[in-house]
Amino acid sequence: MDLSQGRLNRTTLTHLAFLAVPTLLFAVFYIYPVISSIHLSLHDWDGFSPRMRFVGLQNYTVLINQPRFLHAALNNILWVGFMLIVPTGVGLLLAAILDRGIRGEKVFRIIFFLPFTIPAVAVGAIWRWMYEPDNGLITTVLDLVGLGGLAQNWLGDPAIVNFSLMGSVAWWTTGFAFLVFFAGLRNIPTECIEAARIEGATPWQVFWKVSFPLLWPSTIIVLGMSAIDAMRLFDVVWAMTKGGPAYSSEVLAVQMYDLAFGRFDMGRAAAVAVYLFIIAGVIIMPYIIYMSRRVQDSEAE
Amino acid sequence: MTKTNLLAAMALSLLGATAVHAQENLEVWHYYAAGSELAGMNAMIEVGNAAVEDANITGVVIPGNVVELRRQLQTAFLGGRPPAAYQSSMAYELKTFADGGQLHPLTDVWATIKGDEIFPEGVQRVVKVDGVPYGVPFDLSLINNVFYNKEAFEKAGVEVPTDWDSFTAACDALREAGYQPLGNAGGTFWSLYNFYAALVSAVGEDGYYQIARGELGFDSPQFSEALDLYRDRMVSCYAQNWSGKTWTQTADDLINGNTGMFMMGIWAAGYMDQAGFAAGEGFDMFQAPGTVGKAIFQMDVLAVPEGPGVAAADQFIAAVTTPEGQAAFAVPKGSLAPNVNVDPSVYGYAGATFARQFSEASANDAVLPNLFFLLPTDLGTEFGVQIERFAIDPSDTVKAELIATLEGLRQEALAENAFINW
Amino acid sequence: MSSSIQQRQTVLTRTVLFGMAIIFMTPLVVALLTSFKSPSEITRVMSLPTQFYWENYAIAFERAGRTFLNSILITVPAVALSLLIGAVAGYPLAYMSGRGGKVVYFLLLTGMLVPFQIVQIPLFFLVQRLGLYDTIPGMWLVHTAYAIPFCTFFMRNFFASVPRSMYEAALIDGCGPATYFWKLLLPASASGLAALAIIQSRAIWNDLLFAITLTTSDNARPATVAIAGFASSLQVEYGPLMASTVVSVIPVMAAYLLFQKSFVRGLLGGAGK
Repeated sequence: MDLSQGRLNRTTLTHLAFLAVPTLLFAVFYIYPVISSIHLSLHDWDGFSPRMRFVGLQNYTVLINQPRFLHAALNNILWVGFMLIVPTGVGLLLAAILDRGIRGEKVFRIIFFLPFTIPAVAVGAIWRWMYEPDNGLITTVLDLVGLGGLAQNWLGDPAIVNFSLMGSVAWWTTGFAFLVFFAGLRNIPTECIEAARIEGATPWQVFWKVSFPLLWPSTIIVLGMSAIDAMRLFDVVWAMTKGGPAYSSEVLAVQMYDLAFGRFDMGRAAAVAVYLFIIAGVIIMPYIIYMSRRVQDSEAE
Repeated sequence: MTKTNLLAAMALSLLGATAVHAQENLEVWHYYAAGSELAGMNAMIEVGNAAVEDANITGVVIPGNVVELRRQLQTAFLGGRPPAAYQSSMAYELKTFADGGQLHPLTDVWATIKGDEIFPEGVQRVVKVDGVPYGVPFDLSLINNVFYNKEAFEKAGVEVPTDWDSFTAACDALREAGYQPLGNAGGTFWSLYNFYAALVSAVGEDGYYQIARGELGFDSPQFSEALDLYRDRMVSCYAQNWSGKTWTQTADDLINGNTGMFMMGIWAAGYMDQAGFAAGEGFDMFQAPGTVGKAIFQMDVLAVPEGPGVAAADQFIAAVTTPEGQAAFAVPKGSLAPNVNVDPSVYGYAGATFARQFSEASANDAVLPNLFFLLPTDLGTEFGVQIERFAIDPSDTVKAELIATLEGLRQEALAENAFINW
Repeated sequence: MSSSIQQRQTVLTRTVLFGMAIIFMTPLVVALLTSFKSPSEITRVMSLPTQFYWENYAIAFERAGRTFLNSILITVPAVALSLLIGAVAGYPLAYMSGRGGKVVYFLLLTGMLVPFQIVQIPLFFLVQRLGLYDTIPGMWLVHTAYAIPFCTFFMRNFFASVPRSMYEAALIDGCGPATYFWKLLLPASASGLAALAIIQSRAIWNDLLFAITLTTSDNARPATVAIAGFASSLQVEYGPLMASTVVSVIPVMAAYLLFQKSFVRGLLGGAGK
């Protein structure tokens, strides 16, 4: 690039001007609350009284030795694995099928997106019915097709409850992956696909060799958001099980909520939030950085 | 362009803000957002509002339950914008906020309404902290009733149980006749409330209060006996898959004739009535074994934060504690009015039965507040979680872990001097 | 490629498609049927309603009607503002080559890791101080601010996929970086903005947490609060809950149908040439 020095400065200045408002808002609405959370996590505080006792890292050391905390952290990691694979995979599959121009495409597009538009409270209520262990729809259908033996105490069995919740979340959030992949596929220049077709590639080959590599920006977004949503997961778990029975479906955000407002232990709750932040950072940030580099590299090529 | 937009947004916001602050409006926060709960709340607020002279009181729903309300209160206290009054739980909840310096002592209005006369002794002790009243009761529910499907009892040839042996006989007969004997539901409260029946049987009323005061250990033989009684007499009767149901789903099972009995707070009677399953016809109730003649109760009170709204709140409270104000809430909601002067004829069949149970228990001095709210908050909550866990898996391992966990928390609370002499 | 293989493939994809459609639709059908049931029918979840019980919709309208208006007044500007801020922040981050850009990008992304439940207390304090408590503009501000990490992430990735040649050509033509952004890049990013608009509409429309914390009256309370209210502490009014859910889905679906018209194949490829 042979840009003059003055041009470069002007560009940089414009860039900085563009960044000014977002960074300012970010500092006020993110950095300030995060710093105040870190501050809280070093204290013993009920959340409203003037008494606030400094306890150093005690909240952190107590938590790390609690099976309850470790269990919730592990659940979050399970959720990350699940969210990266299932809703993402199903969303990609559905987008790829519909992108081939199937009759009734518009109707299917609506159907696959619909669950994503439903508020969490309603998702919880609907799926409490679906999972009713004796008369719920899932048990009833299994009974009808002669697989009644597979029916479970979906939300009441500590060994099953996480998988049941995952099922309902997959139903809820696949629409997101579907939407982003579908938009991404639509964004791929037709010329590339036509060229491959003319060379005799099957639709399968066209997808994996041409479309999928060009879907990187969409894939990055879907995977990144899935992992982040899995770490921050709260709404549906709270609406359906409140982390129960007996903590078995608890994730960190639910535990934080319970400690802060269920037990008046603000300091401990803030420590959970900081741990959540750190765990999420360790798991997710390298991925995001790696993927962002990839975009830049592929553009540079 | 972006900056202009944001500036415009800011400017607009300021305009909007001034417009809102111009009208002075006092709020009562509560989480009774739906159905008969909301109907009762609205009726009570209407009665109270009519008595307030200089302000307009509106009810504000905080959707969720006590946890969401606390979250909202904490933010409001810190932001310096508390409501004029709010729906609070009793006992330790009041103590926590009173200790935090957030609550307005209701001494004056308590004297005006003659609180010491209109509320039963057992009720009074859980709204006072060190003798100072911080809440006035408006919503009382018994939690020691077992509801039963009358048709199921007839078909199985079951008599209404009066003690543990007849209760067990009823379970067996119901199971034989093809019913799930005893319903229960998942969640931190329901198993715990069932457990109180076994607990009172094993430790008596004195023991119950000793646990509340931290004097009786969870590692004591009496407590262990209570757990065994609960396991052998109730857990063994529970319907299959109970832990995967909400309490309304279990109530539906009772209505639909799948389940014979269900021990639940008296709000279940209101729910079944609304679903067209009438008290005295479709279902009836009896006091759980070990609690006959006693009343274990759960109660909501109105608490008043310190702030500019206290004068109006006092007027409001005086109006809603009159027999009319109390009935305005209790009748639509299907709970009991804590004020003893409310005429029992305002209630229907179920309500009249509960009112009779409560006044008998008051006369015997056998009124027991929900232990959950007598204990320090973290211990009470953990108690609920642990009992649910034990009900799902009543093994000796879980029992030992339950005892160790709760006893550990009791020792911590003792060290912090956290127990209250209720 | 023989036609029988193709046929078999078509049959397979059709089966997958229909199977998935049934799985996706069933819970929704249950919800829709429930919205037409009377209270006594609701105790039998798997039954069909015997008649259309419109009462649920009447209750939903009475208790949540005003909040739907608030939801629209909150969501439309907040979506526009959040898209704008995402694009404005994403643009320099996609084009800055130095270390500074990466640091800012990284910092903004860490925002996505913050659990929103924990920021409520400081946030309440802030909004109260700004005089925006219980106001619709207050909700715009909050939704815009908390959309920054995701919208920036989304738009930066999208801009990064726009051929660089377009940028360089524009600069050589004497077009400034700001003009390029407004005149060329934004119009060429319609499909990305549309996808983001759909996601943001849904996120803001369905927000409950910020709404509960920052609004208390019909001045500003959105529909989610009223919908959540149908599930009270002990009782749940399933009929009105499902009725209001059915109604609340409509605007988001409308936004979806509206914006996805921009998903035109090859739009970018054409613009990049």
